[in-house]
Amino acid sequence: MEFISLLSYTAPIGLAAIGEVLVQRAGVINIGLEGSMLTAAFFGMLASLATHNPWIGLFAALLSGLVFTLIFGFFTIKLAADQVVVGTATNLLALGLTGSLFRSRFGTTSQLISVPRIPSWGGFDPLMILMLLSVPVVWFLLQKTGWGLAVRACGEYPKAADASGYSVNSIRFQALMIGGLFAGLAGAYLSLVIAGSFAENMTAGRGFVAIAMVTFGRWKPHFAFLAALLIGYAVSLQYKFQTYGSNIPYQLMIALPYVVALLVLVVVGKGSSAPGALAQPYRKDK
Amino acid sequence: MKQLRNASFPVLLLLILVVTLALFRLPVVDSLKLLFAGSFGDQYGWSRTAVKSTPLLLTGLGMVVAWRGGMYNIGGEGQFIVGGLCGAAVAKWCVFSAHPLPVGLGTALILTACVLGGAGYAWLAGWLYIRRGVEVVISTILLNFIALQVLGYACSGPLQEVKKQVPLSDALPDTWMLHKLNRQMDVHSGVFMALGVALAVYVLLFRTKLGYKIRLVGENARMARANRLDVDRSRLTAIVLSGALCGFAGGIEYMGMAGQVGAGFSQQWGFLGIPVALLGGLHPLICLGSATVFGALFAGSENLARFTQAGATLVYVIQAVTVLGYVGIKAVSDRRVVQEAG
Amino acid sequence: MSRLTVSQLTKRFGALTALDDVSLAFEAGEIHAVLGENGAGKSTLMHVMSGFLTPDSGEVLLDGKKIPVGFAFQCKHLGIEMIHQHFTLVPAFTVAENLALARLDGLAHITDSKELAAKALSIADKLGWRIDPDARTGQLSVGQQQRLEILKAISGDASVLIFDEPTAVLAPHEVDDLFRVLAELKSQGKCVILIAHKLTEVLSIADRVSVLRRGKLIASEIRSNVDAQTLAEWMVGELPSRDDVPQGVAGDICVQASNLSVLGDRGETSVRGVHFEIRKGEILGFGGVDGNGQVELAECLSQIRKPSSGEIQWHFSNQKQAIGYIPQDRHVDGLALNLSIEENMLVTALDDEKLVSGPFLNLKEVRAWANRLVQNYSVKAADASVAAGSLSGGNQQKVIVSRTLDQNPELLVVLNPGRGLDIKATDYVHQMILEARTRGTAVALFSTDLDELYKLSSRVVFMVGGKLVEDEGALSLVGGAP
Repeated sequence: MEFISLLSYTAPIGLAAIGEVLVQRAGVINIGLEGSMLTAAFFGMLASLATHNPWIGLFAALLSGLVFTLIFGFFTIKLAADQVVVGTATNLLALGLTGSLFRSRFGTTSQLISVPRIPSWGGFDPLMILMLLSVPVVWFLLQKTGWGLAVRACGEYPKAADASGYSVNSIRFQALMIGGLFAGLAGAYLSLVIAGSFAENMTAGRGFVAIAMVTFGRWKPHFAFLAALLIGYAVSLQYKFQTYGSNIPYQLMIALPYVVALLVLVVVGKGSSAPGALAQPYRKDK
Repeated sequence: MKQLRNASFPVLLLLILVVTLALFRLPVVDSLKLLFAGSFGDQYGWSRTAVKSTPLLLTGLGMVVAWRGGMYNIGGEGQFIVGGLCGAAVAKWCVFSAHPLPVGLGTALILTACVLGGAGYAWLAGWLYIRRGVEVVISTILLNFIALQVLGYACSGPLQEVKKQVPLSDALPDTWMLHKLNRQMDVHSGVFMALGVALAVYVLLFRTKLGYKIRLVGENARMARANRLDVDRSRLTAIVLSGALCGFAGGIEYMGMAGQVGAGFSQQWGFLGIPVALLGGLHPLICLGSATVFGALFAGSENLARFTQAGATLVYVIQAVTVLGYVGIKAVSDRRVVQEAG
Repeated sequence: MSRLTVSQLTKRFGALTALDDVSLAFEAGEIHAVLGENGAGKSTLMHVMSGFLTPDSGEVLLDGKKIPVGFAFQCKHLGIEMIHQHFTLVPAFTVAENLALARLDGLAHITDSKELAAKALSIADKLGWRIDPDARTGQLSVGQQQRLEILKAISGDASVLIFDEPTAVLAPHEVDDLFRVLAELKSQGKCVILIAHKLTEVLSIADRVSVLRRGKLIASEIRSNVDAQTLAEWMVGELPSRDDVPQGVAGDICVQASNLSVLGDRGETSVRGVHFEIRKGEILGFGGVDGNGQVELAECLSQIRKPSSGEIQWHFSNQKQAIGYIPQDRHVDGLALNLSIEENMLVTALDDEKLVSGPFLNLKEVRAWANRLVQNYSVKAADASVAAGSLSGGNQQKVIVSRTLDQNPELLVVLNPGRGLDIKATDYVHQMILEARTRGTAVALFSTDLDELYKLSSRVVFMVGGKLVEDEGALSLVGGAP
């Protein structure tokens, strides 16, 4: 039971991180991951509320994660704009959009909405299982398929992929779209599995923690997942300490996952395992 | 071409504003009227606009310095908060202790603490990048969240006000708040200080050796290195100055408007400095314009409460879409230039 | 009928006409060399033929049939392959993975890299090359990487093989091996097209020679009908000046290195225990093929990179701005393209009291000073406030040269000053370097171009694997003796 609840704490970050591994291997840092997760959480909640069906909510979450990531991809890949600038803008957009829609529909009173959640059996919910399955699937995709080889070429040395006749931008887009689906899953997990509700800015930086976990996991799906487990553990400590009535202030416990993520990055350092062409837009004619 | 591009921005902004209002099913014309009235309609409007623009301007300037120096400081929020916290901590000693200091000296000390606090918090991210290669984008965002929790803890703990009833620091007495022009309006001396700071940042970036080095490293760090400039030092300086500006913004908010720090001390001022800087073309003087426009939008959006609760968050949407529009237009026109140059 | 024909090809990049109505035929079983100066259009022609560029007009015909242009993938299917000058290998991949990438047929399959690479590896075997499929590509030598590039191309049953300046990065014995392979390919009936600019090499291997100049085809002849002189005249239009280089008088020692070692960016030992000295008023030329420690040594001489062991001593009379450094890659290390000319020039003059008083810049003075430099060095620009990125390559180099020489450095370190420049610009820069030498500057010249090296240097050494080798008949092998 301990492990299952650990998986539950891990899932929002783990799902996002596994998708982000694929994206970064293709050479893109999805700074807008946070925003994608937030919109997915919101629209997932909204759809579930409207239809009283959490599965439709899940579908809506996937769709919005995808669409939102598409926006990021359009600006950064098609228009070759700076990834940090675009990501920051899309995150702000997500914050404003979900906040505005939430407030205009539900007001700013702190009434708790409750929407139908995705069911779980003995603590296991299907998204959690998806997360566990996706680790070997993503690994297989990257290492054993032609597409994965092309993706890795795009992330390391896009000129080679181009010379072999592949469109670097198309492949990056494809990887980004899959990342968007994972972002949708992660957002859905927050609102449709854990909370059964939505709160403004409920992702609270999890997208960035996920990005940090990709670095910590040396861009490998299995290590990124393990890294996310570490964060899940840190999150679980919050609740443990609360139940034991410890003197440690709860705010510092909430800060713990972020501190862990930061420490993890400090310890790991830069390293040369990063994909060679990470975060560099690819222009065909030199 | 560049002039055409720049001139299209007011139009773009207006368009986005109208479309956003319409999409949220708000009566466009009435809303525009209310927005205008709330921000520029009368002297109270101007006053509101001024005080809302001030923290935006200062954090925007902070972003300008960092980004020009090639450091993606997304940590304005954390640096703002830490600035405010350091100010409140020093205030506990020089305002609320048994022997308070004279107002002038105390104010200077408090503001200095704010500056140093923000600078130090930024220094941390910079140092981690230089020594350990931790990407500034990620570290500063994580530090933001950490700062937020530290704020919450401090205001319920060591910095909490004397009566221990609410999670807020002691409220600064009126005599300690920044001098107001007029009893009825919020405009305070901090507004004018910010204007001075904008000028100072301009001079720093474009008329000093230090600013030149910061910009050169931001433009092409390899070239700087080939000419034996200390790249690491320039980058660190850029982010530290950036943090200092954001910390100062926190201090001005603390001593000019809020009077006390609590969990809601920052309303995303630090983060919103980024669109202000980007739409200000990363130029300190143009930021005066972008900060004013967005300050006005925030000031005016309070009037929209009649129609929607979503006032401030709508402004986020408008800012975000405008940045994306700006980025898109820039990308397309840059491409045309590249094609023409062959 | 010719295997590959291009007919009336034209390609423009903005105002620049890279190819001007070029028509040319390439036969099977023949080695056909295409010669031309930098910017003559050779690379553009090859990129059009192999599908990487779309021409504005004209056609490409394979065995008399028109083929679609602008689609590299399709050209590969049709059997036209290009071996690029700048390798398109993923350094982090294994050899097998790189070979597999080139042979992927669509992306929807489950693949095993080793399987896909098998054919290429057996071809390598037949050519007498020993290649380890699991080796990391980034750790191979340049010559080995080129073999990989070639394997990528020929393992696909290509009938037309285009080699873009293959000998530029090879050591002499590797060039011999390459030519052996080219002859083998020719005997297999392939159409081998060679882009080159080293005349003696071309004359030793080609069956037919064509010359491009400024986008136009000047001539196309069988090799027995031409000699080096004729080719040079066709390529250049007018022969470059070959004045006798006055030697100058060498003065005191300016730099002295003993047992100097320097590490590269990946921690490898790029410079191994070298000894040399450079005196004032002389030019020490460092020759050799790219990648043998030149950049690291140059950066160490310029105090940009610290030595890892050994000693290097500079003897300057005035410490301020005593070193001038002209880097290899203008766009990467030399200029900030978005900044103005004056801002790019200022970087070497930050200690100048006339331009900088205390912490402040004297913008008016800076502008005047920069405009003077623009004038004196004939930089083609409206004035010093325009962005450096808007200048042509030659003028950009002039900006760098002017700001460096204006400081009257005691030691000038230069890397491949003429690279990517046309003849006039190159001559100009060479002139400036010689004048600096005459003024008593000590010059360290690093060049992969033997003509440039011999034209300018008082003494020459060669860098091979990080060590210095005296000039001993290596010349005749590489084929560049003046």
